[in-house]
Amino acid sequence: MTVSRTASGVALDVREAAPVTAAPAARARGLRKVYGRTVAVGGIDLEVPTGAVLGMLGPNGSGKTTLIRMLLGLTRPTAGEAELLGHPVPEAVAHALPHVGALVEGPGFHPFLSGRENLRRLAAAEPLLESAAIPGAVDAALERVALGHAADRRFRGYSLGMKQRLGLAGALLVPRRLVVLDEPTNGLDPAGTRDVRTIIGELHAAGSTVIVSSHLLAEVEATCTHVAVLQSGSLLAAGELAGLLDSGTGGLVVSTPDVQLALSTLESVDAVATAAEPGVVVTGGPEAPEIVALLVRAGVAVHEVHRRRPRLEELFAQLTEGGA
Amino acid sequence: MTQVLERTAAPLPRLLAAEVRWVFRRPRTLITLGLFALIPVLIAIGVVVADRGGNGLIGAVAGNGLVLPIAALTVALALLLPLAIAMAAADAIAGEAAHGTLRGLLLAPVSRLRLVGVKAFGVLVVAVAAVTVIAVVGVLAGMVVVGSADGQMVTLSGTTLGLGAGLARVALVAVWVVGQLVAVGAVALAVSSLTEHPLVVLASVLGGLITFGVLGAIPALDWLQPWLLTSGWTAAADALRDPVTLDALGSSTLRALCYAAIGVGVTVWRMQRRDA
Repeated sequence: MTVSRTASGVALDVREAAPVTAAPAARARGLRKVYGRTVAVGGIDLEVPTGAVLGMLGPNGSGKTTLIRMLLGLTRPTAGEAELLGHPVPEAVAHALPHVGALVEGPGFHPFLSGRENLRRLAAAEPLLESAAIPGAVDAALERVALGHAADRRFRGYSLGMKQRLGLAGALLVPRRLVVLDEPTNGLDPAGTRDVRTIIGELHAAGSTVIVSSHLLAEVEATCTHVAVLQSGSLLAAGELAGLLDSGTGGLVVSTPDVQLALSTLESVDAVATAAEPGVVVTGGPEAPEIVALLVRAGVAVHEVHRRRPRLEELFAQLTEGGA
Repeated sequence: MTQVLERTAAPLPRLLAAEVRWVFRRPRTLITLGLFALIPVLIAIGVVVADRGGNGLIGAVAGNGLVLPIAALTVALALLLPLAIAMAAADAIAGEAAHGTLRGLLLAPVSRLRLVGVKAFGVLVVAVAAVTVIAVVGVLAGMVVVGSADGQMVTLSGTTLGLGAGLARVALVAVWVVGQLVAVGAVALAVSSLTEHPLVVLASVLGGLITFGVLGAIPALDWLQPWLLTSGWTAAADALRDPVTLDALGSSTLRALCYAAIGVGVTVWRMQRRDA
C-alpha cells in the first residue's frame, strides 16, 4: 500500500511516496538526555512505523515523557538524533509539527478563558487551518471529545476529566498524520477512558500514527499494535504487541477435573505437562490436535483448551523485574 | 492552494490578533487599565482640594488642566507603569510556561523567533494602552476638574499655548513614556524567558527600579547616571518649556533603545534554547 500523495506531493520528500513501511512516523537514534547527574533517557533507539499505535509503557520516571518531548523538539537531547515524519528534529521540526497533534504533560490552558476560547487561541496558531475554518474546527474537536455542553464555561471550573478532554481536543484540531498522547486517560472516569480508546481506534482506522504513553497496562493492550517498554531511561523491549506476547511463555492450557489421568496419559507420549489451575498446562510434545484427541480418547473430561498467551501485565512484570 | 496545504506557520496577523485578544481578555489587564484611569482623576481632585500652588509638575497643574496628563504620566512612570508592563511581560512567557500553554504554541508550531515577536507585540500593546488611558483621562480630567482658561496651556517658561499645541505636548510626552516602557518591557521579557515563575519577573523589575533609584541618589556615583534607565525619567517636564528642549527627552530615549536592544537580544537567545 502506498501513501496517497498530497496535492503538493512533488515537493515532498521522496520517501513520502514510498510504501508506508519505509518511512517511520518517528525515529530516535541514540537519543539521550541528562539533567545534571540524572540520566532521564539513556541512549534510546526506537522506530515508530507509520500507521502503528505505539504504546509507550513504563513506571513513573522511566523517561517516557522526556523521550516524547525530545521527539517533538520541546527539549534538546544531550546526544543522539530524532526524526519526526521524516524531518530532523529540532532543525526541521516546523515541517513536521503542523501534521502532529500532541497532548504532553497534561493539558495546558488559561483558567480565565472558556474551553472554546482556549481552543480558538490554539487554533489561531495552527498553520494548516484557514482563518475561516477555525470556528468550525474548534466546534468539531469539542464535539469529538464530548465537551460541547461545557464549551462556554471557564476552564477554571473544569473537572480533571474535562481538562483532559479539552487537551485531547487541542490535539485533534486538524486531521493529523501523527498524534502523540502522553498519559491521555489521567483523571478520566471509565467512560472517558473508553472514549479515548474509541478516538485512538478512529485515528488508527484513518491511517494516523498514534504514540500513547501510559502506565495503565490494560489500556495499552486494548488499543495498541506496538509496544515500547521503558525503565530508568532505557528501552527494555520494543516491537509488535502480538510478537512480544508470543515470545513469552507459550503452551496449551487444558481445563479438566481429571488432572491425574490427563498427566499420566500425556506422559505416555512424552509430552511435557504440569498440573496447574484449572487443569494441566502442556508446554512440549505433540501438536495441539493430537493432544486433544489423545486426552479425549483416554476419557479425560476436557472443558476447554486454549493457547496460553501471557497478558501484557505479566510480560511487563517479567521485563521490568529482570532489568532491575 | 498547495502552498496553503504545506504551510508551516500560521499567518502573522492572525497570531498577533490572537495575542492581543488574549491580553485584553485577561482580567488583570483590564483592572490595571481601570486603576490607571484613576491616577489623573485623583491628582486632579488633590490639586483642586489643596488649592495652593506647590512646586514642580503637580504644582504647575493648578488652574492649568492640560499639564495634568503630563504630571500624571510622570508620576505613574516612577513605579506603576513599569510594574504594569512587568506584569504583562511576566504573563507573556513565564506565565504561559507555568500554565503549560507555551508548549501548545511551540507545538502548533509557532517558531521560537516568531513567538518572541508576538510576545513583544503583546507587551507593547499593553504599554500603549496604559499610557493612552492616562493621557486621555488626564486631558479630560484636566479640562473638567481642574479647568484652564480657554483650553490653553501655560508652559513652565511662562508662555501660553493654544489647545492644539498643548495636546501636541501631551502626545510628545506619551510617546516618550511608551519609549521608556519599551525598555522596561524588553528587560522584563528577558527575565520572563529565563524563569517559569511570573513573580520573579515582577520582583526583578521592582528590585531594579529601586536599585537604580538608590544608585542615582548617591553623589559619589554621578558617573553612573548616563547608564541608569531611570535617571532620565523626569525629562517630561522639558516638554512644558517653550520652546521644547529635546536634550533630556532624546538622550533618555536613546538609552531606552539600548536597554530594549539588550532585552530583546537576551530574550531571543534564551528562547532558542528554552525547554517548554
